[in-house]
Order: sequence, then C-alpha cells, then structure tokens
Amino acid sequence: MESGIRVLLLIAALATLPGCATVHGWFHHGSSGAPSNAPAPASAAEDQAPPRVIEPEIARRDITVPKIRSRNFELGADYGIISIEDFGTHPSYGFTAAYHITEDFFFQADWGRSRGGETSFETLSQIQLLTEAERRFTYYDLSLGYNFLPGEAFIGRSRAMTSAFYLLGGVGGTDFGGDTKFTVNFGGGYRVVPADWWALHIVVQDHVFQSSLLGSTKLTNNLEARIGVTVFF
Amino acid sequence: MTRRARQCALAGLLLLAALLAPAVSGAREYLQLFVTEPYLELHTGPGRGYPVFNVVPREASVDVLFRRTDWFKVRTERGVEGWASLKDLQKTVMANGTPFRFNLGDLAGFNDHRYELGIFAGEYGGANYISMYGALSFNSQLHLELALGEFLGRYSNGVTGDLGLAHVVMPESRWSPLLLLGVGEVHTEPKATLVQPSDRTEPTAYAGIGIRFYLTRRFFLRAEYKAHYVFTTRTTNEAVDEWKAGFAFFY
Repeated sequence: MESGIRVLLLIAALATLPGCATVHGWFHHGSSGAPSNAPAPASAAEDQAPPRVIEPEIARRDITVPKIRSRNFELGADYGIISIEDFGTHPSYGFTAAYHITEDFFFQADWGRSRGGETSFETLSQIQLLTEAERRFTYYDLSLGYNFLPGEAFIGRSRAMTSAFYLLGGVGGTDFGGDTKFTVNFGGGYRVVPADWWALHIVVQDHVFQSSLLGSTKLTNNLEARIGVTVFF
Repeated sequence: MTRRARQCALAGLLLLAALLAPAVSGAREYLQLFVTEPYLELHTGPGRGYPVFNVVPREASVDVLFRRTDWFKVRTERGVEGWASLKDLQKTVMANGTPFRFNLGDLAGFNDHRYELGIFAGEYGGANYISMYGALSFNSQLHLELALGEFLGRYSNGVTGDLGLAHVVMPESRWSPLLLLGVGEVHTEPKATLVQPSDRTEPTAYAGIGIRFYLTRRFFLRAEYKAHYVFTTRTTNEAVDEWKAGFAFFY
C-alpha cells in the first residue's frame, strides 16, 4: 500500500521535472540524431531567464564605520633640578611616557639624567670619592599615577583648560656612584591641557634609595622638581 | 653644520612632524552618531566632575573626534565640541540605525585574546626585582611568554631574560592558576669590595606557578613564583627563587 503511494508520488515528481531549469532537456538527450528537434538556443535562453518583477536599480552599499582614534598615550620631555643627597643640586633632564587607563589612573615611565657634584668632604679635602663617569646620575621609574584633583584652569574670561593634580608612586632603578640601586619614587604633579593634543606638567618627585657611598648605609632622598611638555597621541 | 648634525636635525624634525601630524590633520571622516534619548550631555572635560555646558537634542547628530579613556570628544552639527561619556554614547545609534557599541574589553575578551603586556615588582634571589613581560596566545590556554627583568641587590645586580610557556588552567574564569615552564639567561654583576669577581652570563631553566585575576576592561592582576635553576660553570648549579606581582593588560 505504502509502496504504491510512493510510486504515485514519484511519477508526479517526474512529471513536474521538465519545468525545472536544471533538468530541462533531460528527455531530449537520447535524440542525438535529430538536431532539428532540439530547441533553438535563443528560445532556450528565454525559457531559462527568470521573470523579472522588479528591476533592482540600487547597488548594495557597503557601510564602513570610521574607526575612533584613541589618544591615551602621552610622550614628552622635561627639564628641572634634582637635589642629590650629599652631592649637591644640579640640573636634570629626561623623558616621560604615560598611558591613561581610566579617567582616574595612568601608568607612567620616566627616564632622567643629572650629574652629582662634590660632597663637602671632597671640597674640603680635595680627595675625589667618585670618578667623572660615576658622578653621572641616571634613573628610571615605572609608576602608577592617580588624578587626585581634576579641574579646570582659566586664562581670562573665554579660555578654560582642563587640569589635574596627580599623585605618583612606583619603583625603578638609579645608577649613581658606580652602582645601580633599587629606587622607590613618590611625588605629585600638576598637569594643564591647553589643547587636546598637548599638556604642560610641573612635577615634584622624590627618588629614595639606599646608599653607602659615604661609609655608612643610609636611605637617601633625592628630590626633583621638573617642568615638562607632553604630546597626546 | 656637519653632515651628521644635519642628519640629526632632519631626524628630529621628522620625529616632531610625526608626533604633530595627528594633531594638525583635520581632513578625516568621523563616526556620526544620532541621539535617541531626550538629549545627550556634553561636558567641558573628560571626567565625571566636569560640568555639562551643552546638550544635543534628540535626533540631532554628533561627530566622534577621538577617545580618551572612557570619554569621547564629539562635535555637534553646530560645531560645538565637548566630551560625552561612553555610557551616554551607548544610547545613541549610528547612521544605519544600529545601536553604537564600543568594546573597552570584557571578561570574554580576557578569555580569548592575542597579546598581553605587563609589569611586575618583586624579589629575585633576595634582591629587589623589576620586570616586564609580553605574551602571545596560541589559544585561550597556552601562551608563549617573554620576560625581561632587572634585579638590584646588596651583593649583586643583574638582568634576566626568560622565554617560556604558560598554561592557563581555567581560562574562562575570573581567577585562574597558571603553570609556567621555560628557559632563560641571567647576567650577574657581583658587588665585592675586596675581590672583584667578573660579571657572568649563565643559562637558566625555570618552572613556576602563578595566578591571574581579571580586574576590569582590558586589565588584570598577576602574581607568580618561578624556581630558576642556574647552570653555572662552577662545581654546583644554583637555585634562585623569583616572586613577583604586577599589573597587565591584554589586547
């Protein structure tokens, strides 16, 4: 019974097949000796072309969403003075790079260089404790910054600049007196942003490390004040 | 002016031009967003405390100029520029009507990312240690890591370099233990006042364990312990313990 229905359905399907474009002409394959029976190519093309209801006139547009640039990196140079404990106060210069993580926190890497002078002992005794190369004071710091007091600074009536007092703290190394010392740094700064792409910084930072250059081992504080310019990108 | 000085000056100018180029090039097409809420607030600065000085009405649009942290500098149709928060901008739609979405990183991205970068502070064989690392992910569980560090101690200073594999035990979780295995080199500069031993560079191998914890967006904390074996040219090899904790981000 079931097989009978299946046969019927198959016959019905076969009967509709000649209407299908892909199988159209299957039944003519056998009649190779009678080319006159084959339909003309032009009429075949007409048969195969689907009926056109609406002519699509609009090409599909690919919408590209412009990327939003981020300006979270800050790169700059600075100049200032550093008081190297026992070795006098001298000019310093350096470079700084920062990455702003959130509106509150940022990462900062600093590199700076100065030169230690003579201790009072050296001045009085004329005995040199360090060579010229050893007097070179080089530090690097990796710090975390916190925008402690964000605000705005005004020049006149019509010009406002965003600003912030920030706190800095981190670790690094200081190369001085023929040795590199593990250094803890902490400090604070004031940043004014006159335009979106650059900023002015005033930073006071203490570089603390253990030194035994003058006989006894002690913790030295090396305070630095510097002014810097950075570019956001 | 010598030729070298001229080259330096030219290189400096090129660097300056490269730095300033993003600031002066204004001929770019910006993303346009349409306000669907009753209004969009514009702040004077990129922070929650900066006052609102302008609002953009519903159905008006803004051009997004650039982003700083969670804040976007936008320009209204009338040419007013101000800062809109990501939270507010996520209620706007793009020109084709789809809601604006911006991914600052999430836990799903943390589970499946390509690169990691981080910095650590800690201890290496009793000396203070500062280190940074970069990682390349083969899949969510297996990373290739390169770490460089400097140790500054009472008896010696030096630098280390490690290259190895990290296996993330539970990548889908906020907390996950890590298993570490690799090789490296250590360059040691001993400090001695009486006898001056020479600097030495020695190969090392390490095995370690660690833990990572997803903080927010693209950031996570990481702490680890590595047991290093230093293959010396002396009679015995050395074992050095490294402990460190730090902060990293992925992208």
